[in-house]
Amino acid sequence: MTDTEREVSAELIERCRQGDRAAFHALYQAYKDKVYSISLYFFHGNEAAASDATQQVFVKLITGIGRFRGDSAFSTWLYRMVVNTCLDHSRAAARREQPVVDNTAVPLSLEQDLARSEIAEKVQAALSSLPPKLRMPVLLRYFEDLSYAEMAEALHCSAGTVASRLHQGHKLLAQKLTRLRDGLRS
Amino acid sequence: MMRDERAPQGPLEPGELPLASPPEGMWESILASVNAAPTRTGLRWWQWAAAFSAIPGLLVVWYATRPRPGGWEVMALKGAPMVNSERVAAAGKIRVGEWLRTDGASRARIEVGAIGTVEVEPNSQIRLLAAKPNEHRLELKRGEISAVVSAPPRLFFVDTPASTAVDLGCAYTMKTDESGSGLLQVTTGWVSLEWKGRESMVPAGARCRTRPGTGPGTPYFTDASEALQDALASFDFEDGGAAAAEKVLREARFRDTLTLWHLLSRVGPEERVRILDRMIQLTPLPDGVSREQAMALDKDTLQRWMQQLAWKW
Repeated sequence: MTDTEREVSAELIERCRQGDRAAFHALYQAYKDKVYSISLYFFHGNEAAASDATQQVFVKLITGIGRFRGDSAFSTWLYRMVVNTCLDHSRAAARREQPVVDNTAVPLSLEQDLARSEIAEKVQAALSSLPPKLRMPVLLRYFEDLSYAEMAEALHCSAGTVASRLHQGHKLLAQKLTRLRDGLRS
Repeated sequence: MMRDERAPQGPLEPGELPLASPPEGMWESILASVNAAPTRTGLRWWQWAAAFSAIPGLLVVWYATRPRPGGWEVMALKGAPMVNSERVAAAGKIRVGEWLRTDGASRARIEVGAIGTVEVEPNSQIRLLAAKPNEHRLELKRGEISAVVSAPPRLFFVDTPASTAVDLGCAYTMKTDESGSGLLQVTTGWVSLEWKGRESMVPAGARCRTRPGTGPGTPYFTDASEALQDALASFDFEDGGAAAAEKVLREARFRDTLTLWHLLSRVGPEERVRILDRMIQLTPLPDGVSREQAMALDKDTLQRWMQQLAWKW
């Protein structure tokens, strides 16, 4: 169970099911930063795309909470929506031939935090450079600490595939970060 | 067991990728979106009722506007031809499956896609069976048609009760009477009459009769003697046998090698020898055609011989 999930009780989910707006707001407060952060890093720091995706995820959550039957963890169900929404946005952007990719962009909302460490900016760039199918498992792992099985459910693939992608993602990220750190030291 | 395993931490360290917060006002935007799109996804009972009650109307609209199979233009040349039960005015259309009927005082013209025309004579009944780029097919149940087609071979077909006329690039008339018997006369090019593996190749200037149950008879040139034509009818459809064949041989001219060529494969070996001898008497075997091969009904040999003969008919 993740930290966030510990904050989200079955009672809160039930209240959401009954249409309690206050309960939805509590759910939003519990997950908004993680959902937004995953979207932000998935879209290479593009705030507009991340905001759109986050808003869409919570609209889906509120309108579709009745379909959550508790067969899986709530966070798995939620992150599945995050994954689908991010991928849908990404495909739509590709179709419009207006890529949301901006490898040099740094999330403005992170500026103060990132300013504390020059390397943080580079980490974001390194993460953004991962292919989407490797990037998303790393983000889920980093922000929500999902298990292989939970990630597999969210990503619509087998646990073995998750392990493989995560391994590749970590390996690539480690190489990039090593280069960046070495560059900063020299 | 991988299922419950935690994924490894990876190369990132805490604080290297801090959480970001969505912009202020996002919650209000979410609520506005939710209010704009109702959370209910199901229909209320009256919505279901309305939907079901609309089905018959929608079916009617669909039926009226449904995509129809391909069709050809039809023009009334005289009188009042009918397509199904509708009278064809100056111009109309016949669609796949529809019948065109002419009475004793009407004639019509059908545009065969973009490859030709068919004129339908009085007292005829014809149906459009296929209107596809690679298959233009009519069924002549009774009456008479004149077809002019300008297209590669085997694109235009006319089915009759006794055969299928396959266009090989030609103009022709085809008649079918109430009994299903027919008569093909070719004016230009070639037509192949086909029925259950039996085939008659009919060139310009020639005719061929057809009978239900027998298929196409033996083709003959229109200027062949009446005696030959009568003997041929006897041979083809009246069980005239060797006597009728003998009469054909006696009457045959060089041009009638068209008829004799077809007879070669429609008689037994003894008769075939006599027909072959008569053909050789009328015109020597061309290069590449041997008597033995012809007697054996070698397909390539017979085709080669027919092509050589056709130059001189």
